[in-house]
Amino acid sequence: MECYKIENLTFKYPSGTENALSDISLCVNQGEFILLCGKSGCGKTTLLRLLKSVLAPHGEMNGNIYFYEESLDKVAQDIQAEKIGFVMQNPENQAVTDKVWHELAFGLENMGLPNPEIRARVSEMAEFFGITDWFYKDVSELSGGQLQILNLASVMVMEPDVLILDEPTSQLDPIASGEFLKAVGKVNREIGTTIILSEHRLEDSFALADRVVVMDSGKVIADDAPQKVGMQLKAMNHEMVSALPTPMIVADVLTVRDGRIWLEDYFKTCKPCKIEPKTTTVKTDVCAELKDVWFRYDKKSTDVLKGLSLKINRGEFYAIVGGNGTGKTTALSVISGINKPYRGKRKINGKVSVLPQNPQMLFTENTVRADLLIMNPDDSELSAIINDCGISHLLDRHPYDLSGGEIQRCALAKVLLTNPDILLLDEPTKGLDAHFKMKFADIINSLTQKGTTVVTVSHDIEFCARYADRCSMFFDGTITAQSTPYELFGKNRFYTTAAARMARRTLPGAVLAEDIIRACKGEQNE
Amino acid sequence: MRPVTEEKMMTDEFKTYHPIINFLYFAFMIVCSCIFMHPVCLFISLAGAFTYSIMQNGKKSVKTNILYMLPTVLVMALLNPLFNHQGVTILAYFPDGNPLTFESIIYGIDAAVMVISVIAWFGCCNRIMTSDKMIYLFGRMVPSLSLVLSMTMRFIPKFAKDTKKVCDAQRGIGFDINKGKITTRMKTATKVVSVMLTRSLENSIETADSMKSRGYGTKKRTAFSVFRFDSRDVCMLVMMLIFGAVTVSGVVLGGVRWQYYPQLNFTAGTPYAAITFIAYGMMAFMPVMIDIWEGIRWNVIKSKI
Repeated sequence: MECYKIENLTFKYPSGTENALSDISLCVNQGEFILLCGKSGCGKTTLLRLLKSVLAPHGEMNGNIYFYEESLDKVAQDIQAEKIGFVMQNPENQAVTDKVWHELAFGLENMGLPNPEIRARVSEMAEFFGITDWFYKDVSELSGGQLQILNLASVMVMEPDVLILDEPTSQLDPIASGEFLKAVGKVNREIGTTIILSEHRLEDSFALADRVVVMDSGKVIADDAPQKVGMQLKAMNHEMVSALPTPMIVADVLTVRDGRIWLEDYFKTCKPCKIEPKTTTVKTDVCAELKDVWFRYDKKSTDVLKGLSLKINRGEFYAIVGGNGTGKTTALSVISGINKPYRGKRKINGKVSVLPQNPQMLFTENTVRADLLIMNPDDSELSAIINDCGISHLLDRHPYDLSGGEIQRCALAKVLLTNPDILLLDEPTKGLDAHFKMKFADIINSLTQKGTTVVTVSHDIEFCARYADRCSMFFDGTITAQSTPYELFGKNRFYTTAAARMARRTLPGAVLAEDIIRACKGEQNE
Repeated sequence: MRPVTEEKMMTDEFKTYHPIINFLYFAFMIVCSCIFMHPVCLFISLAGAFTYSIMQNGKKSVKTNILYMLPTVLVMALLNPLFNHQGVTILAYFPDGNPLTFESIIYGIDAAVMVISVIAWFGCCNRIMTSDKMIYLFGRMVPSLSLVLSMTMRFIPKFAKDTKKVCDAQRGIGFDINKGKITTRMKTATKVVSVMLTRSLENSIETADSMKSRGYGTKKRTAFSVFRFDSRDVCMLVMMLIFGAVTVSGVVLGGVRWQYYPQLNFTAGTPYAAITFIAYGMMAFMPVMIDIWEGIRWNVIKSKI
């Protein structure tokens, strides 16, 4: 049975000149898990919001949307509220009340259900999602991952037929987003709820979906099983290929396990060539140094940094990777001088500026231009930086109207106007799609070439492996390993890129998808 | 991350009763402590509040209680005779010719005890009446208020956390709210406030979407609570009504009287007064007794296993 049927849907925003969605036809069957992907700004969010009347944006809409064979605008609001669950991007803003139990009950209260019924349903949901341990907690005590699970549970408690999720993991770290997607998968498999999920990080979600729909500038360009969609995108040589999971890029398979088998089969018949690591000239001019740094937030709390020592050289791109809560961000705050260590030395040559995790927080004015001008730049400097960051078309927009990738670059421009010698980036790739990540990496590259030192802390192993000059692995308040990306991730067994995990046995030392592809091709060419 | 308190909190059974029971109890104790100025009543109330706070907070509260209480008693006992010269038992004369009376000294001490016991009761109440209980109670009276209160309680910590992040972000690009000239610092502070305003508005749009999406405003709302009024609460309510009624009637009907001026005159020794005091005592020590009772029961059950 069809859950949603969309016929020739076209949508235009009142302010827009072009159609945000044009001629979209799509069927969503009951119980299906659909992954909707595409570059940011391709119309994913618009499409998803049109699927629920209260959230539908204002604008000119043509075409039909049917929900269980009934035109969506004829379905009553309270039925839509119950039957169509919607989870949004930002975990913080979706929680309405102050207690976990109250948040779970909120939707049912709105439905006017009696207390015993609410109690029964809430307890069921808390059990299903493993919330029982923090049932009585304040919402403000939860981590981002827990909060998003709570948002999912408090939508699921209304027993919807279809669950729509609009980039729900973009604000979460990889571990938390993996957990979240696991919960979504569980809902789909064990309850049979239809899922429509939009994502730009495809590593975890691609293999989970029954069907993948790819959008590009308001149109559907592919709609098929994941593997087939991957092949189609590659055949089209589409930009989205870079967002695909590594096993898909390399071997047209969905998981690392299958990719590994594929590689082993492939190299039975031919010999692999040697992996040439990316050559990096190691710079030696130390510009920032921490020596045996110990830090804790409170006199009574435990140490966050435990004897951390690191040397960062002028003009290099230095990445610190590691899990959640290991003290990475704290390390960054010690380098920037926001926090002072209680033991150990900090030597910094030059001016330090920080690009925070949420770049929106840097903007205080009504337009990007005004925001850049309050930094008192001279004209040539300003135009050079605008050029470098590629934001000349964004100058007159309001900072809050920009997409994640756009605001990131504007924020970078503002930070660069402070003329930093050392630039610190806190999770710069959070919420960015593959396309913007590449652009961002280009900007960083041009900066380091001019002699600026760039230090980042990140969860994004693939990004650091691809672009950093040196990487270090952070664990338990100190650095446990430090080297060039190829040495570090080539050696690591678990905490490393998907490509390295795939090629461990057949092509030791391969770190990026390109390495494997080159190795395969190289052999073929000979 | 929240610091873990080393000291293990005492169990407090009374806390697990229904919010209405908690509320009525504290309302009764606080009002009675304010009004009943009979020294025995004052002593009962103070002793009740004191033991209860020790039970809630352990040894720590003994120290704070004594540290705050003794000076208050001393100061008030000394101050009252300085300004109040009523009473017939004159002990001496001040240099300005006003009399120092025995009654005013006693009244000073008793008033101090009253103030202290009320403060102590409020302290106990504070530990029991958590925000969700208050929200529940007010929600009973004004239904729409409970959601507003709950949303406010969600908003405040979020706002505080966000403000700190914005301050840090601005500091990272050289606008430090804690350093530099006062004028530039003021400018930075204004900026932070303006960012926070915009952000809060932006965020509230998303929150509103989330509320609408979950059917807010489509039907008449019910108010869910995790609290259940069960048989144990009924039991408690009946006991409170009995003891409360006996106490109040004792005072209203004249079983217990007090008079400080012009001459001290307190009822004591009559059977009616004794019954009133016992009832008041039962009220004042009720949470403590519940806890002891539960403790005994627990031990009995354990010994059977």
